[in-house]
Amino acid sequence: MSPSQLRDRPPTAEGQAPTGRPARRRRPPSTIVVAFAFLAPALISLVVLRIAPAAVALSESLFRESFLRGGTVFVGLENYADLFGNADFNNALLVTLVFSAIVNPLQIGVSFLLAVLYTRRAAGSKIWRSLVVLPIAVPPAVSAVVWSVIYRPDGLGNSFLALLGLPEQPFLSSPQQSLASIMVLLSWIGVGYWMLFLIAGINDVPTELYEAASIDGASAWRKLWSVTFPLVRRPLAFVLVADTVSNFLIFAPVQILTKGGPSGSTNLLMYDIYTRAYTLGDLNKAQAEVIILVLLTLVVVAVQFRLLRSSDNA
Amino acid sequence: MSSVTRTSISKRRTLGYIGLSALGACIGLLFLLPLWWTFVNSLRAGGDTFRFLDPLQWETFFTLTPSLDNYAALLSSDLGLATWNSIFVSTVTVIIGLAICSMAAFALAAIPFKGSGVVFIVVVVSFLIPFDAIAIPLADLFRDWNLQNTYTGLILPGLGNGMAIFLLRTFFLAIPQDLVEAGRLDGLGWWGIFRRIYLPLSVPSLIGAGLTLFLFQWQSYVWPLLNGTDAQHILGPIALSNLQGQFNVDYGVMFAGSIVLTVIPLAIIIGFQRYFIQSVTTTGLK
Repeated sequence: MSPSQLRDRPPTAEGQAPTGRPARRRRPPSTIVVAFAFLAPALISLVVLRIAPAAVALSESLFRESFLRGGTVFVGLENYADLFGNADFNNALLVTLVFSAIVNPLQIGVSFLLAVLYTRRAAGSKIWRSLVVLPIAVPPAVSAVVWSVIYRPDGLGNSFLALLGLPEQPFLSSPQQSLASIMVLLSWIGVGYWMLFLIAGINDVPTELYEAASIDGASAWRKLWSVTFPLVRRPLAFVLVADTVSNFLIFAPVQILTKGGPSGSTNLLMYDIYTRAYTLGDLNKAQAEVIILVLLTLVVVAVQFRLLRSSDNA
Repeated sequence: MSSVTRTSISKRRTLGYIGLSALGACIGLLFLLPLWWTFVNSLRAGGDTFRFLDPLQWETFFTLTPSLDNYAALLSSDLGLATWNSIFVSTVTVIIGLAICSMAAFALAAIPFKGSGVVFIVVVVSFLIPFDAIAIPLADLFRDWNLQNTYTGLILPGLGNGMAIFLLRTFFLAIPQDLVEAGRLDGLGWWGIFRRIYLPLSVPSLIGAGLTLFLFQWQSYVWPLLNGTDAQHILGPIALSNLQGQFNVDYGVMFAGSIVLTVIPLAIIIGFQRYFIQSVTTTGLK
């Protein structure tokens, strides 16, 4: 505790409060000045590089370029209204929501089952587990490039299907399969990462609980459902929120592999914003779309936290 | 318990053990496969990438004549320079970012001051705004500030990292106040307490936060695409995806580049595995 703080205290608190410090010692700066000196670089970078751009996007989304008067004019919420009347944007929103509704439960379900599998006693469990974790080192752009070759008509994907006696598939060039193909390559790098959190959670479950359940004659499924599942709810909640947010922001595979196509089937919001800003050159509407994306993310996070909190109380 | 049921139980156990091991092995190998195939193809000429795919054969996944030609070609290509740029940008981000984030975390965890609650909210809010979502408005600002196509422009957004601050703060909060008092008695100021007491005690969490900063920068794609695409400042992932988009792709070199861009973070994660897992669990369990 700093001397300046001690001085604020009533002298009765301690027998000899240091009010009578030697006057020749330089007075140290007050704690708040010190605190802000420590905080300044981080705070400035967070405010300028995170909060300011969001504020800029918000304010610019309310303006529109005017060719008549030059410069920009205030148009209120017109950019937003235009977006919601725009077929491409509505399609992008729909694709993003469908994508999230499928990819999040899929990735979390698979990582949970894998976490359970790899925490059971089995030969080489640690080795196989680390092979599942390995792809988390692969940057999304690299994953997209590698899978672009796997998904080629003459690529590894179709050789595997041939091995299983299945017909050749178009993968990325089919509107029906393109989004699913992107989900597969994202899950390849994502599942191992989320599994790490769940393994940590499962390892925290006391083994006595399983033994007690075994003595009660519970089956393996029953133990999984009634013992493991409720006890890893916290890490599961974190994974759910973090995975949802990261999947709202998918960009690299779309930009590298499909450019949003074929026929808009993979046009996720992030890519739609990018094309609106740079290909169509409509920066103000793109800013409105940025705000919609940020709000969407925040709403989903808030709802999920609320749901988890109320189920905690139950 | 009769001996009959006991043997049947132990038999079932063995079967379960073998079944789980086999399942675990199959899934593990399946996850390894794309990366392994990439690796093998990086060791043979680009023209041979599709030679062994129809039908699948052992040579699809192995080669008897590995060569490092693709890696040598990489060194003199644009992708080689781009990889160096990635290394440079990530390293600078980790060094400066750690200094900035640990100072902020120290102020939030150790210095009692009015308004620390408000500051913490600012950190959380900035952390809730996903960076990629605001990359386009930020790129617009950086154009006005003449930071486009500069190393500074590439590095700056990676420095203040809400996650790293949060991680370090959690760790700093666990450091006993007695040590601070003792440091005070020895005549240390706040800077001394931070430098001599907190930092040396926090090496594991500093490594964890460093990994967070590193991976943020190494894996980023949207930002370097918007802010640094000229030949001198291009980063690895962008250069690789440009290669993929070309009409005449040398798959061997492309795969070699993919392996290099993966092996660097992989080596770092494996080297600091313990701290990586620790930081993962701290963020997950709060």
